[in-house]
Amino acid sequence: MTVGTRPGARRIPARTYATGAASTALRPLLESPRRPARVLAAFPAGVYLEVRAELEPHVIAVVNGDAVRLPNAMVVADPVPRVAVGGEAWVGDGSIELGRLGLRVRRWWDPAPPLGPADPVRLARALPLLAELCDASPRRPGLEGSGAAELLADGCAEASLLRSLTAAEQLIGLGPGLTPSGDDMLAGLLVALRHLGAAAGVERAVWLADWLAAAVTFDARGRTTPISATLLHCAARGEASGEVLAVLRALTGRQPLQPTLGRLLWLGHTSGADLAWGLRIGLAAVLCLADRAGRSISKVGAGGS
Amino acid sequence: MGAERPGTDLVRVRTGIYHDSVSLMRVSRAAAALPGVEVAVVAMATGLNLDIAAELGFELPAAGPTDLLVALRAADGDAAERAAAEVDGLLAALAARAGGATGGEEPPRTVRAAVRAASGAATLALVSVPGPYAFAEAMDAVEAGLSVMVFSDNVPVEQEVLLKRRAAERGVLVMGPDCGTAVVGGTGLGFANVLRPGPVGIVAASGTGAQQVACLLDLAGVGVSHVLGVGGRDLSARVGGLSTLRALESLDADPATELIVLVSKPPDAEVAEAVRQAAGGLATPVVTAFPGRASSHGPDDLTSAAEDVLRALGVKVPEWPSWPAAGPHAPAAGDAARSGPVPDGGANGASAGAVSDGGMADGAAATGRARVLHGIYSGGTLCTEAALVAGTGGFTDYGDDAYTRGRAHPMIDPALRLEALAAVPPGDAVLLDVVLGHGADPDPAGRLAPAVAAAVARGVSVTVALVGSGGDPQGLAAQAGALCAAGADVFASNALAARHAARLTGGAR
Amino acid sequence: MSLPMLSGEPHVITAGAAVLGEALDAQAVPRTAVDWRPPLSGTEDDLARVLADPRRAAANARAVDRLTSARPLLAGVRPAGEVLDLPPGTFLHAGPPIGWERASGPMRGALIGAVLLEGLAGDAGEAEELLAAGRVRLEPCHHHRAVGPMAGVVSPSMWMFEVRDAEHGGTAYCSLNEGLGRVLRYGAYGSEVIGRLRWMGEVLGPALAAALELTGPLDLRSLIAQALQMGDELHNRNRAATSLLVRELAPALVEAAGGRAAEVLRFAGGNDHFFLNAGMAACKVSADAARDVPGSTLVVAMARNGTDFGVQVSGLGDRWFTGPAGVPDGLYLGAYGPADANPDIGDSTITETAGLGGFAMAAAPAIVRFVGGDVAEAAAATRSMYEITLAEHPAYQIPGLGFRGTPVGVDVTLVARTGLLPTVNTGIAGRVAGTGQVGAGLVSPPASAFTAALTALAREAPIR
Repeated sequence: MTVGTRPGARRIPARTYATGAASTALRPLLESPRRPARVLAAFPAGVYLEVRAELEPHVIAVVNGDAVRLPNAMVVADPVPRVAVGGEAWVGDGSIELGRLGLRVRRWWDPAPPLGPADPVRLARALPLLAELCDASPRRPGLEGSGAAELLADGCAEASLLRSLTAAEQLIGLGPGLTPSGDDMLAGLLVALRHLGAAAGVERAVWLADWLAAAVTFDARGRTTPISATLLHCAARGEASGEVLAVLRALTGRQPLQPTLGRLLWLGHTSGADLAWGLRIGLAAVLCLADRAGRSISKVGAGGS
Repeated sequence: MGAERPGTDLVRVRTGIYHDSVSLMRVSRAAAALPGVEVAVVAMATGLNLDIAAELGFELPAAGPTDLLVALRAADGDAAERAAAEVDGLLAALAARAGGATGGEEPPRTVRAAVRAASGAATLALVSVPGPYAFAEAMDAVEAGLSVMVFSDNVPVEQEVLLKRRAAERGVLVMGPDCGTAVVGGTGLGFANVLRPGPVGIVAASGTGAQQVACLLDLAGVGVSHVLGVGGRDLSARVGGLSTLRALESLDADPATELIVLVSKPPDAEVAEAVRQAAGGLATPVVTAFPGRASSHGPDDLTSAAEDVLRALGVKVPEWPSWPAAGPHAPAAGDAARSGPVPDGGANGASAGAVSDGGMADGAAATGRARVLHGIYSGGTLCTEAALVAGTGGFTDYGDDAYTRGRAHPMIDPALRLEALAAVPPGDAVLLDVVLGHGADPDPAGRLAPAVAAAVARGVSVTVALVGSGGDPQGLAAQAGALCAAGADVFASNALAARHAARLTGGAR
Repeated sequence: MSLPMLSGEPHVITAGAAVLGEALDAQAVPRTAVDWRPPLSGTEDDLARVLADPRRAAANARAVDRLTSARPLLAGVRPAGEVLDLPPGTFLHAGPPIGWERASGPMRGALIGAVLLEGLAGDAGEAEELLAAGRVRLEPCHHHRAVGPMAGVVSPSMWMFEVRDAEHGGTAYCSLNEGLGRVLRYGAYGSEVIGRLRWMGEVLGPALAAALELTGPLDLRSLIAQALQMGDELHNRNRAATSLLVRELAPALVEAAGGRAAEVLRFAGGNDHFFLNAGMAACKVSADAARDVPGSTLVVAMARNGTDFGVQVSGLGDRWFTGPAGVPDGLYLGAYGPADANPDIGDSTITETAGLGGFAMAAAPAIVRFVGGDVAEAAAATRSMYEITLAEHPAYQIPGLGFRGTPVGVDVTLVARTGLLPTVNTGIAGRVAGTGQVGAGLVSPPASAFTAALTALAREAPIR
């Protein structure tokens, strides 16, 4: 991160600027004209900004390298600036302005990189391992054993749109904290259905992801916290944190599962375990749906290699 | 040297201190700018640097490449001492910065130790130590199972072959030696542009060639998954495309890559055939861009390769941005930049850049001498491409080893190109490349603009190929604006710039 | 074939131009920066040749694995004449080969003492004539599976620790420690010195041998590991190791030596360096296990004879590569000063060769002032040795560094690349024959010994 004086700034007096890396999910917001924003929350490792915009993500996480690399994050190398909750900020015209600090992007990452083709047989072998590791972990999801969670798992496995949507409706915003457990579970499910479904060539799973995404994002801003609503919008598009993406890659056999899942499970208070729960029922649903499709087109051998 | 040398010389040799040549060049430049200082050489005491200092007339004590030489010539002793103190301060700052990252513990001294210090987190190594020493550091990375980019040049070819063979055994990739550009998952290494992530993977034996293709794709809204440099010699018979083949294979296996572009100067025929066969065996389609290679529709150029890629992805080929020169009474800098095509002047070039044409009428045209096109380049492949496309004039690549021994690359230090620009006679035409991105000069247009304006003022027409993406730190629009305000016609496409410049001189294509 | 770097979060190691590293910082890419400097002058071609040797990586892995997996056991104490291949009229000495003419004061003094001990001459003058006439054959300890501290002179009637490697089957020997002050190994040869040596041969050696018969072999690997955690570095501080050894032996000594047990225990317990020689034999047997691996650049011996500092390298057989021995920098006893100091001497650098001594300085804060430093410098000295070593010892650990294994296995190529020379703790002998110890401190080996070895490795490397 370089810090210096920005030359030739016209609108604002000379300010210091810093640089970093951002999710491409932020690119439309950053490239559009400058708009006001406010500080939603501030922690040593990150600051959440809410931008007055219809675009999603409308909440931006400005974090340092120690924090979770959320799909709506800009990562800076230096310490995150100290700002007060409710403080003013500006986003657009290529930068994020926080107090006297201007942040500019020097690297973009894709929060929804394609997984590539995945062998359904390998995915099927990954499920019991995932289940075993999750069950053995002391990190438990926040809504374990809730009726809505079970309904969602069953509904997905049966590709029952009605039951899935009913369960999703109940889960949005359910639980305490900045990102309620219900939202994290849904987010894990959405990215698993979309990415694993596409990777294994299970169109029905992607179809289910589309419907659930539409339902979940329809009134998310009114149903849950702003940060959680933004993350649901991201998940609806298949955008996830680096930790979630690593577990998805591990499920397709591209990297070892145990360490990547371990990192995910230890995120936040229950967030990591909630996301892992969503991934688990998402994977189970993809396999069930592949099985059904397989019975009708058993000779095609979808996605195998 | 002159016996009547005025001023006071101060020469100091400091042992046990090492800094890289670019960092020391900055210190030299800062020292030379101090009041009363005439000459400042702050450099490692290599044979070459000692020769340079001796040529400047300094009397030198015995010193070797592990010593740091400070040679200052100032108006008087006080000024020399002040400058020496200033240099000490700058060197101390460099040392503090180098040691700062590890929080008190001594920083690792080799790549091997750094791999251990990173405790398993490292994903690749970037080696830019002087060429004779690069092999050891690169080999550390390969043996630790890391891919490595070797930015260093002057690495013996047999060491390159060894490294690449060992890398094949370890299942990793060696990018380089003499690899100036790579982008790995969005991370720009060396001279690289800020690119949006996307479906196109680039394998490049030519750094600036890859930058041109990637930047055009970015301007067309198409992203790049990775740019894997392989080094300029990889496709020679001696190296046999070891890294190219490996890079193709790994991009084929990369889920983010849907299409591969291979960019190189024309390769060795046998190697080209091996690469062609390997490419044919991949599941991912491969587009080749070998600027300089003759093909059915004239010489390959990078712009047409980028257009091929867009068509293959079903993306509409845009009009490539260009910025016409501002007229003598044009508004001031900031407002002069407007993105849009320069009107296509057709074969006679009558309507392209009316200002430049007018300027030319005062120069060579008036004297009756033929207008000559001078290509003053920093990028090797860009230079080759421009020379072929223009089909006329004399082209020099100031990024070539012959011009970079003992000085920084022209993308960092424009001094040689500024001299060349100043030497262009009135009435002639100049074609320049300006490459933006990480590692490059933070404001190349700012440093070239006065020389461009001076050239235009004496009747030289100036065309610039501006290779950059919308996300580059220097600001593509701002750089274009400054250059065209100075009187240059600016093109995002090097091929289009070369055609335009050739037309201005009445050249062929 | 996929490349791991193409997916997931980047972390870049940077070596070279700062501007390229700064560009990564601006992109918030985590990185580890190498503080790179040019290698030792004139070594780049040899380095390239040696680093390109296809055998090197596997050879070094094998050699250092043998070095660190050795399990030295103290098996017995026996007279040199019985166990070493010592024909009559042959004495061993420390360091690389040397003759009388080039021998330093303390080396000459010790040789004179040994001649007197063996009864080959009536007085010092006669002994000197004998030695100057070449009537005593001199050979390095290292050529006879042995090591000796300081002058390291071994003559047939001296008793030796016998250490066996239970892992690889080797055996190594080292003489018994005489204590501090005026002693043979520091070049003293007065009557008290000779008298003590006689007592050691008549009483100490047989008593220890009998005690070890009763105890059976003692595990020195575990004893050294414990001593490191009790503040020894096993070269200049052996207090904990000596205590542990005496504790192990005491009951058996009482049983075996009867009426002489008390004087033996008083002697061993009263000499903080009593363990040093057993530890050196343990290091020697471990280092010997790593010898003769073709293509390996691992140092298997560092030794000084008071004139030259020599190294031997696994891939280069028994050849010595030498440079001038330096004068140690440290603290002096009484009125002695640097002018009284002899250049570096002794085989005790076998401890550094095996990852102890100066390499384990961080384990021994109690003696940091010995070498004119502070605790932070001691930790820094140990940490810097990780730069030039191939492994971290699996058993020898340093509590103060989070139980990290000691740096072990000096690699000639890493010494040339970093210019960092092994940190050696040592005693300082007086330069005049007969003086004895004058101090203790730190010494740097000559870089030329390592660059000469590198050149030889380059010549041995297969041409491609």
